[in-house]
Amino acid sequence: MTTVKPILLAEDNPRDAELALAAMEEHHIADKVVVCHDGAEVLDYLYCRGIFASRQQGNPVVVFLDLKMPKVDGLEVLRAIKNDANLKPIPVVMLTSSREERDLAQSYALGANAYVVKPVEFQQFIAAVKELGVFWGVINEPPPEGSKPNA
Amino acid sequence: MESATQEPPTTPAPVHSEPVSHSSQAPIPKTGWLMERFAHWSIEQRVLAGFGLVFAGIVVISAISYRNTSVLLENSRLDTKSHELVQLLGSVEEALGAAESGHRRYLVTGDESYLKSYQATVEQMPEYLRYLRGLTKEGAEQQDRVEALERLITSQLKAEAEAIVQRKKRGYEGVRHLALAGAAKNEIEGIHRLMTELDTAEQRVLHARVEESAGSTKNTIALLGLGAFLQLVLLASVYILIHHDIAERRRVAAELQSRGELLQAANKELEAFSYSVSHDLRAPLRHIDGYAALLSKAAGETLNDKARRYLQTISSSAKQMGQLIDDLLVFSRMGRQDMLRTTVNLDQLVKTVLHDLRLDLQGRTISWTIHPLPNVSGDPAMLRQVFVNLISNALKFTATRLEAKIEIGAGPRNSGETEVFVRDNGVGFDMQYVNKLFGVFQRLHRNDEFEGTGIGLANVRRIIHRHGGRTWAEGAPDQGATFHFSLPLARSLR
Repeated sequence: MTTVKPILLAEDNPRDAELALAAMEEHHIADKVVVCHDGAEVLDYLYCRGIFASRQQGNPVVVFLDLKMPKVDGLEVLRAIKNDANLKPIPVVMLTSSREERDLAQSYALGANAYVVKPVEFQQFIAAVKELGVFWGVINEPPPEGSKPNA
Repeated sequence: MESATQEPPTTPAPVHSEPVSHSSQAPIPKTGWLMERFAHWSIEQRVLAGFGLVFAGIVVISAISYRNTSVLLENSRLDTKSHELVQLLGSVEEALGAAESGHRRYLVTGDESYLKSYQATVEQMPEYLRYLRGLTKEGAEQQDRVEALERLITSQLKAEAEAIVQRKKRGYEGVRHLALAGAAKNEIEGIHRLMTELDTAEQRVLHARVEESAGSTKNTIALLGLGAFLQLVLLASVYILIHHDIAERRRVAAELQSRGELLQAANKELEAFSYSVSHDLRAPLRHIDGYAALLSKAAGETLNDKARRYLQTISSSAKQMGQLIDDLLVFSRMGRQDMLRTTVNLDQLVKTVLHDLRLDLQGRTISWTIHPLPNVSGDPAMLRQVFVNLISNALKFTATRLEAKIEIGAGPRNSGETEVFVRDNGVGFDMQYVNKLFGVFQRLHRNDEFEGTGIGLANVRRIIHRHGGRTWAEGAPDQGATFHFSLPLARSLR
């Protein structure tokens, strides 16, 4: 049995989550997606605790991170991931409605791997999510499990 | 002064706004007319008039005081002369008395030592008389008296000299009658009377002058007091004016500061607002379009044409609103974003804009005329937005033309600014509505004619204004339109 590494989607808005899943379904990658509804849940997943205490070990292949989320927001999650040597290699893609310069600058400063503004138009949204899912979930070669820099 | 009534003051008095049309009404008493004229004056003019009056008063007082003081000095000179005259009269009388008694003693005794005092008087007398003439040359009456006195004195001395000669020739007996009565009894009486007259007259003049001087001094003191008072008034007004001015400046500065703070707070709020718009308003739109698409996909086959059209309308409305929000965000960002200031090569800028728009140009026949453009100073990204908007507009409104003609060029450089224009042969506009062109959400065409959100030109105007330039346009229905903007020349580029 091949263990398929999941895509982690952090999205507090259930409709956005459903639309994203619908978009990924178009390319048959939806079954690999785990949806978290706030930042705290994302951290629970990454550290295998809370409701995710019994999940299979291993990092997701990519994290799609919304900026504005209840409890712990996207930038805080991003900071936590990039400050943890174990989680640092996970590619993080900011997927947000905000085109504000400040958000862009902060995200990149904290080490985001990509920043995507959700288009209003659904066709474009599908195209964007599909491309992201395919690129990060299929094309991109994830870092080896448990990889740690030697230095 | 007449022109003051013809032309209103350049800065009208803000406080005293009495009715202006008084002069055309029934005649007003003179004071009323003056008051009215005064009411028309600005604060500066009133202050100037007040200062002028006080200043003129001080000048007049100074002039009078100067004149009074001159009179006092002149009087004091004359007083000295009068005193000298009185003293001199005494000396003359004494000398004459000495001569008289000397010659009589000689006549009686024949002792020549008594002639010494007589001789001294004879020798001194011309000097005394010259002195006397000098002291009285300013008064005709006194001069006449001095002349008479001179004649009498000369005659007295002559008579005495003759008596002395007689005594020498004929001895005591020859001059016996003279020795008892004196040689010049008549003259001496006349001399005495004249001397008294001279003395009295001089004393009278002296007394009058002292009175005049005292009055003049009192006058001068009063005037100087008034002058000092006026100067105090002047100083006090200057102090009050300066104090008022400083207080006013402080108040304005404080107000400016508080307004600046308010403005900053408002700007922060606006930023938060547009952030919220950017983030929260777009999500529901995304959902509307998304679910409409999902619905059409899930049930598309079972829907009739009408229902499918409804779904399409929902979807396109959502897209339109999304576009509106995006444009509005750009507009708001253009207003608060920090501006760069570099030299921008407009030729290069237009080339890249045309390159970016190439997808919109497909299937169009467009004849471009692009003249050389100047280098300007400004924010490259913002100026790029200006050209994107203007060229997109030109493309949009020439869509109905078989051959679109678009011309981009620069006007002549004049009075420190550069002018750039974008001209098209599109549907144009009615100059009647030219003022609406650059307003936010102002559109001159129905949406089914030409799509648009009505923000593009508003953005152009905002960007150009932030650069310190101007925007304007001209056109006619179906005759094309020309959009101009000007940018101030940076000194280094001139």
